[in-house]
Amino acid sequence: MTVLLELKGVSKAFGATRVLEQIDLAVEDGEFITILGPSGSGKTTILRMIGGFTQPTTGSIVLDGRDIAADPINRRPFNTVFQDYALFPHMTVAGNVGYGLKVRGTAGPVIKQRVAEVLDLVQLGSFAARYPAQLSGGQRQRVALARAIICQPRLILLDEPLAALDVELRKQMQEFLKAIHREIKTTFLFVTHDQEEAIAMADRICVMNYGKILQLGSPTEVYYRPRSEFVARFFGDNNLIEGVVTAGGAVETPIGTLACASDDAALSTGAKAFAVIRPEAIRIGAGTGADTVVAGQVSRVSFGGAATVAVVDVSGVSLRVKLPSRAEGVSIEAGDRVELGWRAGDCRLVAA
Amino acid sequence: MTAKPIETDRIWRGVALTAAYGLPLFFILLPLCGFLVYSLFRVEGTELYYDLTLANYRRFFTDEIYIPVLRQTVVLCLEVAGLCIAFGYPVAYFLSGLKGRKKYTLLMLLLVPLLMSYIIKMYAIRSILGGNGFLNRTLIALGIIDQPLTFFVFNLNAVLLTLSVLLLPFAILPIFLSLERIPRNLLEASHDLGGSSRQTFFRVILPLSLPGVISAATFVFVLAIGDFLTPQMVGGQNGFTFGRIIYSQFGTAFNWPFGAALSVILAALVIVAIVIGTWFGGEKAAVRR
Amino acid sequence: MKRSPLATLLLALVTGLVFILLYGPIFIPIVTSFFAVKYGSVDWSQMNLNAYAKLTENEGVIEAVENTFIVGLSAVAASLVLGTVIALHCNSSRSRARALLQFVVFLPFLMPPIITGLSLLIFFREVSIDRSMLTIIIGHTVFVLALVYRTILVRLQGIGFSMIEASYDLGASAPQTFFYVLLPNLKSALIGAGVLAFALSFDETMITILVTGTQNTLPLRLWAMMRLGFTPDINALVAIILALTTVLVLVAARYLIPKDFAGAEA
Repeated sequence: MTVLLELKGVSKAFGATRVLEQIDLAVEDGEFITILGPSGSGKTTILRMIGGFTQPTTGSIVLDGRDIAADPINRRPFNTVFQDYALFPHMTVAGNVGYGLKVRGTAGPVIKQRVAEVLDLVQLGSFAARYPAQLSGGQRQRVALARAIICQPRLILLDEPLAALDVELRKQMQEFLKAIHREIKTTFLFVTHDQEEAIAMADRICVMNYGKILQLGSPTEVYYRPRSEFVARFFGDNNLIEGVVTAGGAVETPIGTLACASDDAALSTGAKAFAVIRPEAIRIGAGTGADTVVAGQVSRVSFGGAATVAVVDVSGVSLRVKLPSRAEGVSIEAGDRVELGWRAGDCRLVAA
Repeated sequence: MTAKPIETDRIWRGVALTAAYGLPLFFILLPLCGFLVYSLFRVEGTELYYDLTLANYRRFFTDEIYIPVLRQTVVLCLEVAGLCIAFGYPVAYFLSGLKGRKKYTLLMLLLVPLLMSYIIKMYAIRSILGGNGFLNRTLIALGIIDQPLTFFVFNLNAVLLTLSVLLLPFAILPIFLSLERIPRNLLEASHDLGGSSRQTFFRVILPLSLPGVISAATFVFVLAIGDFLTPQMVGGQNGFTFGRIIYSQFGTAFNWPFGAALSVILAALVIVAIVIGTWFGGEKAAVRR
Repeated sequence: MKRSPLATLLLALVTGLVFILLYGPIFIPIVTSFFAVKYGSVDWSQMNLNAYAKLTENEGVIEAVENTFIVGLSAVAASLVLGTVIALHCNSSRSRARALLQFVVFLPFLMPPIITGLSLLIFFREVSIDRSMLTIIIGHTVFVLALVYRTILVRLQGIGFSMIEASYDLGASAPQTFFYVLLPNLKSALIGAGVLAFALSFDETMITILVTGTQNTLPLRLWAMMRLGFTPDINALVAIILALTTVLVLVAARYLIPKDFAGAEA
């Protein structure tokens, strides 16, 4: 895969506040990369720097071998889908979508044709003459997207575009965006704070917090092999058990010595660490293949739609176990004494 | 939200900046500074001397006429403000109690006099108040009096009445706006907790509208004290205000630097009034309450 | 808001009285404009438009009206352009220079007109600019600028930055962004501010008296005539001015007052 855009040593400070620290990020051509992080993590700042709305304090943004960090917004071959869509209220949908071509001096008939094509692509073909005020949130979103696509930019920046939509619509739009991405094959850089959204859509996820990149990898990598406590906790529901690393890559914890797998070579014996176990990786009852087995008592069972969560108290540590729900209820209830087991490979070691 | 300046083409930026700073600097700031400096010059006979001296200010404080006139003018303007509030508040309150079309129409009707010709209004009020004016003739016709009243003919009372009528709309508007800003749910809460409409008024509405009242008073005061035409037209010989003294320095008295000095003193007074008004009448004041 | 009927009645009475106070002085000249005035008293027998006809022959007044319009339109044009430029500049970021600029713009409106007028008078004299229509226009522009600037600024703040960023993002230049995106959204604020500024300039007396040479605007002409007393054709003029002012206020209100102002329909 070729690199389209690279951020090298980029940092950003607003006066005394440091928002981004030493960011090195290579965006690959044609990928759908998501920058994920909580509010204040600096993710939006990265997007705005790439778009040109703000300049880095240090570092460079390299495109085609040239540092574009000082280029004005309107000279960069990128287009943005803003969080509030930023549609022009005094123009029709067609006027909005065709704006990028109009300011370039494109001929009228050409604009008309291209606009029609793009509107078809986002399934708003019959809406050309409407005004933004007459559209629903989802429709406005698609107009914003169409407006960004039409100029065939090399990179499309999306700034939490789905934040204002309700859950059902958001899921539809996620699939929709993925489909568009496959269709037009342009690089997408998507910013969000919603981890489910990131996992659903991205080729690669860049997890950020406090202005630093914590982990960059595919959704499965980030989900199953977190490399820091923050990432482990961020992808909800994870069990983190504190402990100390022992020889042989195991970790000594209040519930016992647990065999673990880890990518992090820096964890030396005696270091403080967390054993991270996904709730769905834990089996109730010592079945076959379990490398580690512990015993505990169920404190409560919560029905959560597709999954039911059982909270089990093991030697003072609460472990969450996710089970597929059953209409007649799962087979355990509060107060039961159970055995929990998991594979060593499902127990990740992460520095504390 | 503080945004960073967006990159624009440099030529446009230069042109825009020159225009933006040009006129205000050249025609507002410069004249005002020049004005201040001018007040330090002096005039002897018909000659203007450019040396700097505080003689004009000294004269203001030592000569017997000026301070009493200033005091009288200030008292007059405070009275005008008082009258305007006294009549303006009920109107604003009435207006804020209306709904829909009626409210909008009535507000429009109240704003039109605001922009109606100042001179015409002044003239009309003068002719009403005059010895042979409408008011006197009506009173005589109704038999209430035998002789025309001279109570408000060509004196300070005439100035007081004229200014009050002229400036009433200016008082109504700020009071109205501050009444409108009171959240409806506060009034409902007051009723909910058992308050009568009278109690609601005195304990909730009045205090919350006070900033608007003070704004209105400041506004009217500043407008009144700067008016030198009304006193001239309706004040006659007995209605001399500070503004008229200033104006005469540029007319018959022909002492521009002295007039400038007097104006500076007037400006200082206005600034004090505005500061007091903003402190007590601004939105922050409402929050502080 | 529940109010006792008595309170409402009292309030209505006061409001009525105030209305009489505000409109009374104006109605009298207007009403009499439709009748002939003989030997100081009004002949109520027949209504006619003679006064209006006579008005067209009054050259002094005609010229004053012309001057008033020239000054008004010029001041409006100048203040709209300047107000927009300054508002754009002050809205783009915060700095002390910008705060100072805004303060300077507001000064002539906050200070009594006598001070603005006098400072300009002295300035023109020292800089050897002869008093003329130009000085009147400058005086009026400086006076109405604050209002125009603030109206535009408030609307700009309502528009927000997103749209402007989007325009640049799509490749537009600064002039293109201004003409295609900003101006259409500022239109109603510009019209409202312009109309209001015109109304203010139309009526402006105190500054004008101080900075005029031999030119008369309408208020100045009326001021001069006040000493002699009004003739019937002036009453006609008063009526026309009232009509014009009412129209101006209504137009300005339509563009400046938000549509949901009066709350739910009664």
